[in-house]
Amino acid sequence: MAEEPPVKLSLPLEFQQDIFSSAREEDQLVLIARGLGLVRIVTNLLHSYDAAGNNLILLVGADDRENGWIGEALAEHAAISMSPKARGLSLVNTDLMSVGTREKMYARGGIFSITSRILIVDFLSSLLDPAMVTGMVVLHAERKNKAGFLKAFSDSPEPFTMGFSPLATMMRNLFLRTPSLYPRFHVAVAKSLEGRRKAEVIELEVPMTEGELKKANSGLEMDDWNLDSALHKNFDTIVRRQLDPVWHRTSFRTKQIVRDLTLLRSILHSVLTYDAVNFNKYLDTVLAASSPPPGSTRQTQSPWLFLDAAHVIFDTAKRRVYTAKINDNDAIGANGAVPESLRPVLEEQPKWALLAEILEEIERDVYFNPELQDNSNGTILIMCGDQGTCHQIREYLQTMHVIPEENKEAVDGDDDPTSKPSAAYMMRRRLRNYLAWKRDFAKVSASLFAENQKSINGTSDKGSQNSRGKGPPNKRRRMRGGGAAASSTTRTANGSIRMAGDRDSHIASLLADLAPTEAEAQQKNEIAADPLDEAEENFFELYEMNELVVVHPYDGDMDEHVLEEVKPRYVIMYEPDAAFIRRVEVYRSSHGDRNVRVYFMYYGNSVEEQRYLSGVRREKDAFTKLIRERGNMAVTLTHDTSGLDPQEAFLRTVNTRIAGGGRLAATAEPPRVVVDVREFRSSLPSLLHGRNMVVVPCMLTVGDYVLTPNICIERKSVRDLISSFSNGRLYNQAETMLLHYKNPMLLIEFDAQKSFTLEPFADLSATVGAASLHASDVQSKLVLLTLAFPRLRIIWSSSAYQTAEIFEELKKQQDEPDPIKAVQIGLEQGDEAGENRPFSQVPQDMLRAVPGVGGKVLGRLTLEMGSVADVANAEEEVLARMVGKEAARQIWRFFNRSVFDD
Amino acid sequence: MPWEYSDIPADFVLGNTTCALFLSLKYHRLHPEYIYSRIRALAGKYNLRILLTMVDIQNHEESLKELSKTSLINNVTIILCWSAQEAGRYLELYKSYEHAAPTSIRAHQSTSYSDKLVEFITVPRSINKTDAVGLVSNFGSVRTAINAKPEEVALVAGWGEKKVQRWCQTVREPFRVKK
Repeated sequence: MAEEPPVKLSLPLEFQQDIFSSAREEDQLVLIARGLGLVRIVTNLLHSYDAAGNNLILLVGADDRENGWIGEALAEHAAISMSPKARGLSLVNTDLMSVGTREKMYARGGIFSITSRILIVDFLSSLLDPAMVTGMVVLHAERKNKAGFLKAFSDSPEPFTMGFSPLATMMRNLFLRTPSLYPRFHVAVAKSLEGRRKAEVIELEVPMTEGELKKANSGLEMDDWNLDSALHKNFDTIVRRQLDPVWHRTSFRTKQIVRDLTLLRSILHSVLTYDAVNFNKYLDTVLAASSPPPGSTRQTQSPWLFLDAAHVIFDTAKRRVYTAKINDNDAIGANGAVPESLRPVLEEQPKWALLAEILEEIERDVYFNPELQDNSNGTILIMCGDQGTCHQIREYLQTMHVIPEENKEAVDGDDDPTSKPSAAYMMRRRLRNYLAWKRDFAKVSASLFAENQKSINGTSDKGSQNSRGKGPPNKRRRMRGGGAAASSTTRTANGSIRMAGDRDSHIASLLADLAPTEAEAQQKNEIAADPLDEAEENFFELYEMNELVVVHPYDGDMDEHVLEEVKPRYVIMYEPDAAFIRRVEVYRSSHGDRNVRVYFMYYGNSVEEQRYLSGVRREKDAFTKLIRERGNMAVTLTHDTSGLDPQEAFLRTVNTRIAGGGRLAATAEPPRVVVDVREFRSSLPSLLHGRNMVVVPCMLTVGDYVLTPNICIERKSVRDLISSFSNGRLYNQAETMLLHYKNPMLLIEFDAQKSFTLEPFADLSATVGAASLHASDVQSKLVLLTLAFPRLRIIWSSSAYQTAEIFEELKKQQDEPDPIKAVQIGLEQGDEAGENRPFSQVPQDMLRAVPGVGGKVLGRLTLEMGSVADVANAEEEVLARMVGKEAARQIWRFFNRSVFDD
Repeated sequence: MPWEYSDIPADFVLGNTTCALFLSLKYHRLHPEYIYSRIRALAGKYNLRILLTMVDIQNHEESLKELSKTSLINNVTIILCWSAQEAGRYLELYKSYEHAAPTSIRAHQSTSYSDKLVEFITVPRSINKTDAVGLVSNFGSVRTAINAKPEEVALVAGWGEKKVQRWCQTVREPFRVKK
């Protein structure tokens, strides 16, 4: 290493040391390929400052998990290098900490992990003196931009390649000169990783079940988008981003297609990960959720459901679970005869069998080379995509040797050659659960989504014996006519696919067929006992490390931890993940004495393979592009910030958007604006500050900004506007503003990057009298709003920057607002004005959706109860005492009503 | 929409207490004093005075800033439109809603249980309707779904880790942020 820091570091690899020393020397933006140990480098860097003491360092943009890890690692480092000055990491998050506490903490110094919002508030209220800040470290620079000494880190290069010379922009925002890029193919990286023996990687291609791929693809081809790009992980986000500038103007139809696209992608994903039964279950849910309420005039149904391909998907999915023979002569009426028509098929995921094979091979391997020459444990680590898959694999491994009819004492390592591992047991169990669920679900969907239909047809003719699990009556009639199509889907009158309500008799027969055998019944308890905690920490002391199979989902940077802790001898990658391969490489090279063998599984020729490959390719492309850009960039960055007041420059950079050149108009007494603290998520307060206004952060009950004693402003982005129109919040806000201020104003702020127009009217050519039909668009709601509140003024602003100018204009020759008064306005008599009572927004929105909850009730509940869960669990009488009988009854019923009975 | 000529200070009279002036920004740039004389002519009449402004120039910022200030001083409400059709539509809407009650923008009207249910569950970000249906159909009632452990929710098809985390966090998040 070039310079020897006075502290002990733990960066085993050369390229990591390189990054560290160059980042230490000068401010820069470090872009690094995924899986190369970003957090580890950051931690070391932080530690080197921490150990030096006398610092105030801000870490911005770290999420909870990273905070946890970095905090832990810092403590560890401090212990190792015995630096008495190190203070570790303190968290400054949310408003949990009072102002006083924060001030004290800042005065003490150390390393703080802080959210950008609080950071700005504290800067503005001079709680935190910018001069004191030694530096900042920004994580996830792809999302946020910050500035002092500044080190920015990111390990996803792709976002940097979007838009026009994005790297340069980002660098300018960050006031950074030097980007360092460390792609996987960087010489140093390659040297460190490949110089020593590479980890053995064995790629295994799994042939897909026939039909699976076809099915998946046909689902996507129906859209106009080309298939190839659809494979990429973020395809729908990309489409969305492209549409974003005009999002509020796109038609309902387009929005729906984009939404469907997302849905289809998730279906695609589930084909690969879920087992057959679960997949079918998921499809059922999708179908129920997207079928329109019967009798609705508007065609709200997703278009893809009408296509043949959709039919194919549903059909195939079902056939993977069970098939029907066509001896369907017994109609529903003949209940007595249990038909043999449904037969479970229960296709297994091909990967399962392969997994079993690999495990067997490993076992043999261990058997032949029993002596471990190295440090690693004999553990087998299986990595998979998410918690769900994890669970699935775990269950499979536990049950794969259980053969329903035969010997039940089969366990792992059984060398009876006849018992081939199979998932039959698990699948049967799943199917049983599924059928039970399905029975309930039919009821649920009937009671939830066919309410109108039922009321039309009357519910009196409920069947006596088999009323369970049957759809609404008219559905049954149609089924009778439908005849042979028992297990497939049928099309209803309006052309869409509906779930064919499987007849009870069929389900009964299937259930009888699946009735747990004795062996299964015995197994059941065992499995129920350890569903989750197998992979959790507590097993470390319970089991011998050498004989463990650990199943773990991919988890970003935390994977490094897993590798370090488990020290696996064998790694099986159930799904491809480029970052993890790198992590294994790093791990392997960092510990020369450990052997790792990696098995790498993917479905040949499948979406999964292509997604993986294109992911790798994109990352490589991104880096290539960035390197090229860095080559061209030198000139653009030479502009200096010395002309600006340092504090302003600092704040400006903290902002997410850079305004154009700020004019500095020096006035004797700076104008003052009272701003609600919740508004600090937007860039406007910083822009106001940039225009030399004093921004006073307060907890406002009424309005977002108070410009003068008379002017109060409620800020809405277009999207907010639409949503607060529809939930009625804007109406209430306007009402209270009018009550307390002489000049209430509604600010409609458009996004600078988006078009400065509202959604065009649905159809102007439509008959004039049909105006009432379109009462749902924004304009008509605006009209209603102005009619209801003639005194409410509307400010239209094309960007936050423009808003700042307007504010300045409005404030001219006006009195300054009084912050204390502004805070008190709107508070109830009972509330102590001094006591700040911030409420969290989302839970409140949830409560508002509950029937019986109006403004008053909401206020009571949020004051008296702790959380949504508390309200849900409260007894009716308790609620009644707070909000009155009627509301309590409605609320209680909402939470406790069972969707199974109608 | 029936209309007639009349000698009135406003461009359009849309009701007993409502009137509208029409202004094109293009014109406003040429004759900035015009609109002020028109507003003066209104002379305190009408309760709601709409300044229907058509944005037909690219660099509208200055003008709009000025008009915002004007609206505050002169008690006019600015409504922007981007085409003549849109302007006409606004006028039409003002007329037809003259006596309408503002119900559609007030707090929610009661809807069916299923709508409410879906609405309730989909409040936290990224949870969609499919997820909502999946959730209640697995747990039976909203209450059990709220009380479910994250691991249990994760078993519902379609519920990934993020959704599970958001859901479980939100329902347990305290209403009041404690100091």
